[in-house]
Amino acid sequence: MSKPKAKAESGGDEAELPDGGWGWVLVAALFISTSLVFGLMRSLGIFFVEFVQYFEESAQAISWISSTGLAAQQFFSPLGAALCNAYNARLVVMVGGFLAGFGLILASQATSLVHLYLTMGLISGLGWGLVFTPMVATVMANFTRRRTLALGVAFSSIGLSSFAFNPLFQLLVETYAWRGALLILGGLSLNIIPCGALIRPQQQRPKPKVVSVKTTSCAALLQRVFSYLELSLLLERPYLTYTLGVTLFNVGYFVPYFHLVAHSRQVGFSEYEAAFVMSAAGATDILGRVTSGWFSDLGYFRLIHLMSLWTALAGVFIMLLPVSSLSGSYAALMVISLLYGFCSGALTSLVFAVVPKIVGVQRMMGALGLLQLIESGAGLLGGPLSGLLRDVTGNYTASFVVAGSFLILGTLTMATLPHFFSCTDPPQRCSQNDKDACSHPELHQMNSIPSDTMVQ
Amino acid sequence: MALSMIYSPLLLLLVSCSRRVVSKTTGPTPAPLVPTSTLPTYVKSVVLKGESHTERLELLNPVNLTLECTWAGNQNKEPNITGWWLKDGNDVPNSRVPVELQNEQYNLRGVFSVNNDTTLGNYSCVFANEARIDFLLEAPQIGDVREKPIVSYIGDSTVITCKMDDTKPMPITWNWFRDNGTEKEQIIAESSRFEIKNDERKTRLVVHDLTEEDSGLYYCGAVFAISTPMSHVKLKVITIMEPLKPFLAILVEVVVLVAAILLYEKTQSKKKATAENVPSADQNNTVTQEEPNGPEGSPSTRQRKV
Repeated sequence: MSKPKAKAESGGDEAELPDGGWGWVLVAALFISTSLVFGLMRSLGIFFVEFVQYFEESAQAISWISSTGLAAQQFFSPLGAALCNAYNARLVVMVGGFLAGFGLILASQATSLVHLYLTMGLISGLGWGLVFTPMVATVMANFTRRRTLALGVAFSSIGLSSFAFNPLFQLLVETYAWRGALLILGGLSLNIIPCGALIRPQQQRPKPKVVSVKTTSCAALLQRVFSYLELSLLLERPYLTYTLGVTLFNVGYFVPYFHLVAHSRQVGFSEYEAAFVMSAAGATDILGRVTSGWFSDLGYFRLIHLMSLWTALAGVFIMLLPVSSLSGSYAALMVISLLYGFCSGALTSLVFAVVPKIVGVQRMMGALGLLQLIESGAGLLGGPLSGLLRDVTGNYTASFVVAGSFLILGTLTMATLPHFFSCTDPPQRCSQNDKDACSHPELHQMNSIPSDTMVQ
Repeated sequence: MALSMIYSPLLLLLVSCSRRVVSKTTGPTPAPLVPTSTLPTYVKSVVLKGESHTERLELLNPVNLTLECTWAGNQNKEPNITGWWLKDGNDVPNSRVPVELQNEQYNLRGVFSVNNDTTLGNYSCVFANEARIDFLLEAPQIGDVREKPIVSYIGDSTVITCKMDDTKPMPITWNWFRDNGTEKEQIIAESSRFEIKNDERKTRLVVHDLTEEDSGLYYCGAVFAISTPMSHVKLKVITIMEPLKPFLAILVEVVVLVAAILLYEKTQSKKKATAENVPSADQNNTVTQEEPNGPEGSPSTRQRKV
């Protein structure tokens, strides 16, 4: 009896459980916006040479631009999530896309380094923060069985776009100088706006609670902000454990990106060989994202187990990297790097896909936002720590070993999650209001959709 | 092209490690030549293995350069052959001399006064057209040349740099030149828009308030006592319109896409609205009333849209 009702009230353009259909259009939108956020961030290095020459500043001062941008993106993630909870994701993403492009357009007129920090760093970073988490959460809400594959396909854009953007940015800088190139990049970033426009209002996840009485009192406002930011998650052990685990991952995850080339050069390989190792690892990274996404969705194993497998393996391979290269064999270094690339790509999509298993689909948006914020600290810690170890010991072996051990430590932390060792997913969390949510989370989500359309 | 074949007491700086025939004699000197300048002297000796060889010499200051060539000869080992010198492929006048076979070797020596750009170049000693050693004399070259033009905008300022490798000696100073159509004109730092910052190994030319006429080739010269080797950088000044054109194109594309997407969605929802118009009254009812509506075809209408 509930089945035809569900079908009838679904509004007519979705399957029973959201999985595919318009969801794949959103995957394409996420693909494009992720490449315009992270792919762009990764290729900004080309501008740095120009900035160093034009502003006559040190390389370190220039590198703060991208650090500010990344930090702003992660810091404003909970804000983006909260705004989506309060309003709708489409508006937030479109505004975010506008800010991202606007920041770069303003940066093209910069006359000092501080201008660049404020425009390329802060404004664009704010825009990126308003784009990434809402788009990821929206895509995840639109898939159930093939969630991880969707994420894997979308995140493969980061690697692919880095390949494409590096020569493109180089060409832009050579033709139009950095000012013109930034202007055009700002325009390209505005393409996030149509990606956001693709989010259909009735396909959002339902609002967590409807505040029946709108008061302007402080307490009520605070309570609403509290619920929009999903701060209640910070009081729950499973979420905290998970966040801690992901933070530990992040400390070690980026170390090879920073230091693999330098380490290869130090061990004695040529510049070309070292760069090729990185490119090869990047290629298997892309492969790993898509493959692990597809495999995880086949359902043979729980997502959390697969994620633990990939993170443990990635940790082991990171630790093996200096060992293989110290033996002097290029083939060994290449093999370990390929395996590392595959594992690190494989774990990326799973890290996001596991979140709704822990907090439920409804609170996913806020959970992702907070996760981004908390894990940002780890990224800031990992780079300098490994650099410090290298300065103290004289080579990169210690840095890699420590980085790998952080990943393994994170895996062990994950093992303390409740129901980790059971073979089936734990029952979904019950939120206070809806008893239905406990037994049929996806059904509940879909049931409330027509109420949204009616309201609109 | 000053050439004097002088036998004079020399300070020997042996670089190659073969047997050397050192001649300190004051031998048969046709011309009473006295070193008129106070140039320092330098000797470079090369033994030829094979048929030809090239030797590069980096000179900073004017010198009286003595170049010695030694050749082991071929199978014939004729007792007397002719040897001469070439400068940049042209015969050096009065350089053709007979060369005796001494200790199974032929020796040829030339003394050259190298003190400016014209005297730098490619000196070659030739043994009877059979063996040849090239000496490339040059001032330290500026490496690290930027091949792509520097692009900048009207009204903006730009920085052009030149750098001398760490492995090469430091120049005395740096000069900047601009192509004036016919020749190179030196840029004077005191003039309003140009600023030159010299830093031993690096030099920076800052040009403020660029105009389109500032486009062209700029030469940086590393000044050494002997010569001023140059390297060039091309500057291209463009207007803001250049990047603005692709930017506006992208802007138009974004607006069109957004409009198309929103329009498409509106038409989709309109279709939905007209289809749902019929049972709209039913939608507000409770669920149980939907069943009797079945035979009227409205649920199937809704389902058909899927």
